[in-house]
Amino acid sequence: MIGSVLGWLLDPEHWRSTPFDTGIWAQLGAHVGFTLIALAIAVLLALPAGLVIGHTGRGSWLVSAANAVRALPTVGVLVLLVVVISPHFYGRTNAGFLIPTEIVLVVLAVPPILSNAYAGVQNVPPQVRDAAFGMGMTGPQVLGRVELPNALPLIFSGFRSAMLQVIATATIASYVTLGGLGRFIYDGLAQKDYPQMIGGAVLVAALALISDLLVALVQRYAVSRGVSRRFRTDTGPDSRTAVLVEEDVR
Amino acid sequence: MKTTTLIAAAAATVLTLGGVSACGSSSSDSGSGSGGTVASGLIFGGPAEFKTRTDGIPGLQKTYGVKFAKYTVTDTGGPVTVGALKRGQIDAADLFTTDPSIEANDFVVLEDPKSNFKAQNIVPIINKTKATDGTKQVLNAIQAKLTTDGLGALLDKIQNDKEDPDAVAKEWLDDQDLDGAGTLAKGVSLTVGSANFPENVVLADIYADALSNQGATVTKKLNIGSREKYYPALKSGSLDLFPEYTGTILAYLDATSTVSTPDDVYAALAKALPANLVALDKADAEDSDAVVVTKQTAEKYDLKSIADLARTAK
Repeated sequence: MIGSVLGWLLDPEHWRSTPFDTGIWAQLGAHVGFTLIALAIAVLLALPAGLVIGHTGRGSWLVSAANAVRALPTVGVLVLLVVVISPHFYGRTNAGFLIPTEIVLVVLAVPPILSNAYAGVQNVPPQVRDAAFGMGMTGPQVLGRVELPNALPLIFSGFRSAMLQVIATATIASYVTLGGLGRFIYDGLAQKDYPQMIGGAVLVAALALISDLLVALVQRYAVSRGVSRRFRTDTGPDSRTAVLVEEDVR
Repeated sequence: MKTTTLIAAAAATVLTLGGVSACGSSSSDSGSGSGGTVASGLIFGGPAEFKTRTDGIPGLQKTYGVKFAKYTVTDTGGPVTVGALKRGQIDAADLFTTDPSIEANDFVVLEDPKSNFKAQNIVPIINKTKATDGTKQVLNAIQAKLTTDGLGALLDKIQNDKEDPDAVAKEWLDDQDLDGAGTLAKGVSLTVGSANFPENVVLADIYADALSNQGATVTKKLNIGSREKYYPALKSGSLDLFPEYTGTILAYLDATSTVSTPDDVYAALAKALPANLVALDKADAEDSDAVVVTKQTAEKYDLKSIADLARTAK
């Protein structure tokens, strides 16, 4: 079985697209496309909202509401939306299926991003926030220059869990005629071509792992070393380091 | 600073939106134009397995020389296929001959003069230990009365009038004078299964109700799912009776079989079935695949049979 899955994955014919068949590269591109669109929309919606809710402390019910939405069964919502939306599109367009898919994926991605952004800002030590206000910073300045950098590790972890969930769930796009890596899983099952089915699943898992690794790398360079506590202790008698070391011990 | 990078990344990804909507599983109008056949300008939609099945796309190409521009995986003769065909996401589709939505939407079923599609007569597959003379007599009497149109009418009641399949089954048995009480199947205890689509459910209901009228102890296990799920149960004896289609069950048991006429398929099926299962009489009723196009498409290209798709486009 493992041999035939490898055989399926390593066959260059399966990676190329023909006019009739869509190959792995193209489906991978479509899958990444679905994922990026959903994540971009989710970040634009959830990140500012989470930051503002965390900063002002108002509207935290919104975070609970978003988390409650997680309980919705994804495939059920997808089929419902397709039934509602797709009759409005005529002709050679995927929009009637693409829009419902993206809505479903955004609904999945928003809760972890929103609640982590909120929790990240909420959990900034009050002394730090007070010090920033004490230095004469305005509210937005405190949010942008103090709270956001301090919240970044949590924001990233929310983004990463959203991304993993979206990559895995984007396979359902194939349930409603679209492409993506789910195509191989659904088609493999229907055609009793199990190497293709497992190959598709392996590709999804690989895409998820590689994407997570890439974002982990971004996170490593984006998050301040002071916040991530990733610094050398022998930097010398630097006042900033000293404070951080103290924190570390605590 | 961090926010700007995030926003920049987001903006860049939004730009890919246009690209993605084009690279789903159907692409823009390729292949049409001068020199090509009618089919080379059309997008075909159907279930995933139709793309590789011997009587699917490979069969259409081999038998009729029909080659479509693109294959879009929709669903198995369900609402997605019907909707996509109606709204022009696809131009031709694989639907089933008993589907009431063909008539409801004025779709045109293209003729299959060279019998590309395997015959799909309805046939009860039963465990040999339960196939007593009595049960055979009851079921074969039903088989003799099942017609394609009659089945289409039953489906119409279930799908469009939302009637309960079991009530429709009882009504049909009553109409055909097959609901008489008796003792033909007395002492037989069996489990009737069905796949998860309305036609198969109503057929299982018909078998089950007729058998219990004749004194059998019947357990119904309906809406089980795909053949991968129910066939092992049938083979192992946890299901005893199942409404099947000669062509598809044969293809499942023997993927290499190339026979296509009703009698050939039925004979090949009898050979392909394992020793503990037996096929009773096949009905005239057939629920076979068909290449279906909209009325507009049929008129535009003057299509009557699948062979017309291979003509050079004007």
